[in-house]
Amino acid sequence: MVGFKQASVGRVLLAAGAVAALAAIGARPAAAHFDSTSKYTYSSCPGTQQNRVDPINVVFTVWGTWGRAVSQTGTHAGWTNTSGTTEYFVDHGSCYPMHAQVASGTFSRFHIRVRGQHPDDVLGWTATGDAHHEDFVVFPVLCGHAVDSNGPSGSGFDQGRDELEDRFASAGHRTYRVWWGNTQSFKQCDGDYAGSDGWTAFIELHQLNH
Amino acid sequence: MRVGALVVAVLAASFGVSGSAPASVEARDLVRPHAFADFPLYDAGDQVDGLPLTAVLRRDGTAEFVSFVYGDCAARDDEGCAPPVEVQVWPACRRNLDLYASGRPGTPVPERTTARGVPAAFLDDGTRLELQTGRSTVVVFADSRARVLRVVSALRPVGERALSGPLPPPAPGAVQGTLPC
Repeated sequence: MVGFKQASVGRVLLAAGAVAALAAIGARPAAAHFDSTSKYTYSSCPGTQQNRVDPINVVFTVWGTWGRAVSQTGTHAGWTNTSGTTEYFVDHGSCYPMHAQVASGTFSRFHIRVRGQHPDDVLGWTATGDAHHEDFVVFPVLCGHAVDSNGPSGSGFDQGRDELEDRFASAGHRTYRVWWGNTQSFKQCDGDYAGSDGWTAFIELHQLNH
Repeated sequence: MRVGALVVAVLAASFGVSGSAPASVEARDLVRPHAFADFPLYDAGDQVDGLPLTAVLRRDGTAEFVSFVYGDCAARDDEGCAPPVEVQVWPACRRNLDLYASGRPGTPVPERTTARGVPAAFLDDGTRLELQTGRSTVVVFADSRARVLRVVSALRPVGERALSGPLPPPAPGAVQGTLPC
């Protein structure tokens, strides 16, 4: 009897596990999608309009895990310096710290913070970033890193996105742009303002490329 | 050293200090209708919702707009900051609600509505509203949907008295993105 009970319990557990696995498989596509509701990074959590810092202007897709995004940004763009402040991202209404940041140097430099986001049925694994070019400002006020202000060739945010997009495209990655309209102006520590032009670059990190 | 690229910029407040001084009259004159004919401009007056006008920005290049910044914030090393309220005015040929209809995956889904009698849409959980009037697209950024709506209610042609009624309807093709620049 004991053996029978144990076998029955085992079968029940196996069946329950199978049902749970099937349910999980069936439920995943419905829950998994890329969330573009939040289009900024934040200085702290919770992410609100008051603590927005940078516009998000790059989305890595198609095997765009944050690790692959950082690794390939180093390979293609040479951004490997990891200094900078921690910022936060919002995904599906919850606020999380960034996963990584890389830059092209220490002082005036290109810089991006990256966080992996939900996988998506169409886009695959995704990660978002706030690419920008920033100067190290010492005059008229010693304030440190400030994103380049808006200009005819775009703001520092546009320049950072363009640089990354060009480097990945040159290496054979497919890229395209999506209108996000996240053009809010951000005051920098030198008193100038910088903002995105509203276009976000989607960069595919397909395994065929690497 | 980089050069400030704002064609029209007024930073009336001191660096890093919450400002209460309004933008200078001279700077605002530069974007008054007699001096600026590219597209109709709207602002929310010299102050809105208790916030003074602190900067007027002009961007012309990869993006094209005139911006009216209300209130101030404290930026730090490596951390910019968002002013409490900003009103951007774009030519409708460069920015319109049709841009959100591309169908590309990852495109934001706007919440369509009507504001001041013209087509509009909320985005970013209600902290951004875009409305189309005449040949212009007015974009309001603020920290809440309620504040966005208070700013929208204060919109008026630059240099004119406050309007309480509906704004002019969008020009033909403005919402559809077919209006030529």
